[in-house]
Amino acid sequence: MSAQSKIEFVAVSKTFPARSGRPGDAFSALQNVSLQVAAGEFMVLVGPSGCGKSTLLDLLGGLAQPTSGQILLDGEPVTGPGLNRGIVFQQYALFPWRTALENVEFGLEAKGVAKAERREIARSHLDLVGLSGFEGHFPHELSGGMKQRVAIARSLAYNPEVLLMDEPFAALDAQTRETLQDELRSIWEKSRTTILFITHGIDEAICLGQRIAVMTFRPGRIKRIVEVPAELRAATDDVRSQPEFGRLRHEIWQLLQDEVQEAARDERRNKLGTARPARGSSLREVALRG
Amino acid sequence: MANADHSLQLLAPERPLARVSVTKKLQRGLSRSARRSVAIAAFLALWEIAPRVGLVEPAFLPPLSEVLATGVELTKSGQLLAHIKASLSRSLVGFALAIVYAVPLGLAIGHYRRFAVVVSPLLEAMRNTAALALLPVFILLLGIGEASKIALVVYSCSFPILLNTIAGVKNVDPLLIKSARTLGLSSFQLFRKVILPAAVPTIFVGIRLAGAYSLLVLVAAEMIGAKAGLGYLIIYAQYNFQIPNMYVGILALTAIGLTFNQSLQRVERHFTRWKPAPEEED
Repeated sequence: MSAQSKIEFVAVSKTFPARSGRPGDAFSALQNVSLQVAAGEFMVLVGPSGCGKSTLLDLLGGLAQPTSGQILLDGEPVTGPGLNRGIVFQQYALFPWRTALENVEFGLEAKGVAKAERREIARSHLDLVGLSGFEGHFPHELSGGMKQRVAIARSLAYNPEVLLMDEPFAALDAQTRETLQDELRSIWEKSRTTILFITHGIDEAICLGQRIAVMTFRPGRIKRIVEVPAELRAATDDVRSQPEFGRLRHEIWQLLQDEVQEAARDERRNKLGTARPARGSSLREVALRG
Repeated sequence: MANADHSLQLLAPERPLARVSVTKKLQRGLSRSARRSVAIAAFLALWEIAPRVGLVEPAFLPPLSEVLATGVELTKSGQLLAHIKASLSRSLVGFALAIVYAVPLGLAIGHYRRFAVVVSPLLEAMRNTAALALLPVFILLLGIGEASKIALVVYSCSFPILLNTIAGVKNVDPLLIKSARTLGLSSFQLFRKVILPAAVPTIFVGIRLAGAYSLLVLVAAEMIGAKAGLGYLIIYAQYNFQIPNMYVGILALTAIGLTFNQSLQRVERHFTRWKPAPEEED
């Protein structure tokens, strides 16, 4: 399998040192995560907040190193950031001093593309996300949905092999979100870029993904991978009203339910300020702290 | 949602509306400048009337018209211009020197954390030493001429520029840095393309503050030891009981301060065009 995988997580764990400095309090964000994403696949990760989704993305983006395990891109271990991966963030991360067009050009500049060509590529990508005519607008002059379109155009422009999206539509209103979901799907169908999409929205996951990996709450592990049936993906109008959609939604909801409750319990514990034995930590460790 | 409103505004063609209201805009602009000058007009009127009706001693506060007449005289004789030149060249040279060295130094301190740890305590100590207290030191070291006054201006302009530049570099949105880092930018590229442009508005806050400081300390220094300059004019006129001359000096300072600040604002606006337009408040 590893031969044809675009992205492969092999038993990846990530532990952060605790603020207290005591090794026993170390915080385990990801535990033994293994996941394969095929070339051209649209894979969605769902999980409650605090399940380590963003840590996973940082690792794949090359911004952090796993404590153990390996992340492979085309079979090669990831050692640092690079232009073969593009990341789209929830908060857009546009450069406010650059116009929409200049923002899209940013990655191309890093790649060393000549100015005239850069302009042209950026223009065509703004057009792709439906923002022709907004080239000269600064980010503060754009709505949230438009900003995210610019961010998507920016990541697509330098033609990365993999697009990583970290809850990109979470900050948008419902209508804008649905429109952008549809557009993202059609862009993906045309470009067939491998996409790893992170969300906590079940509906969004089903609308977009070919496969959905459900993650556990702290430490993050892959609980199950759910396949979205092809006939559901082929449905053209109002996917959400299909009975199969409802069944799938319920299945994922149940998978997530325990995790969400665990997350809520954890939050209460943190608010009360009591020490929390990390789930999955050894009994001995708990006893020691006892 | 604010965002939604914004996009509506963007999409709705505003042109036709604007064309209709050209005259209205003019009217609004006029009434706005009328409102803005009410307080100043009242103040000037009070200045003119109060000494005339005997509310204050005219020898200490001559009516505005008398001050202005003296101003015209001093301008004609060339005295006023000489003093303005002396003050302006000192403060501009000092201010420019401070920008030239403090901005790069601030960028370095803000960027290299270890450097910051070493120099911050010294900076903090120096910042809290009143600049004027150091004038005697500067005079001892640099003599009574121009150098000591310019040095004082440089010294007091340094801190607002340094501290704001450091803050500007340190407080760049981490997400922007993260986003740029994912593209594999070298740390030099990251600095030039992300950190520096992001810090520009904060750096300008420091530069504008420094502009005001440069006049402030200079006038004080000129009152203590100088043979020309507006500070000298003011204090000398007071000693010799040429009270209208004193007020001419003060008004000249006001005018210079205003012009200085406005030009700096204009430069600042040019460099921060990308920011949402601030409410007019100057």
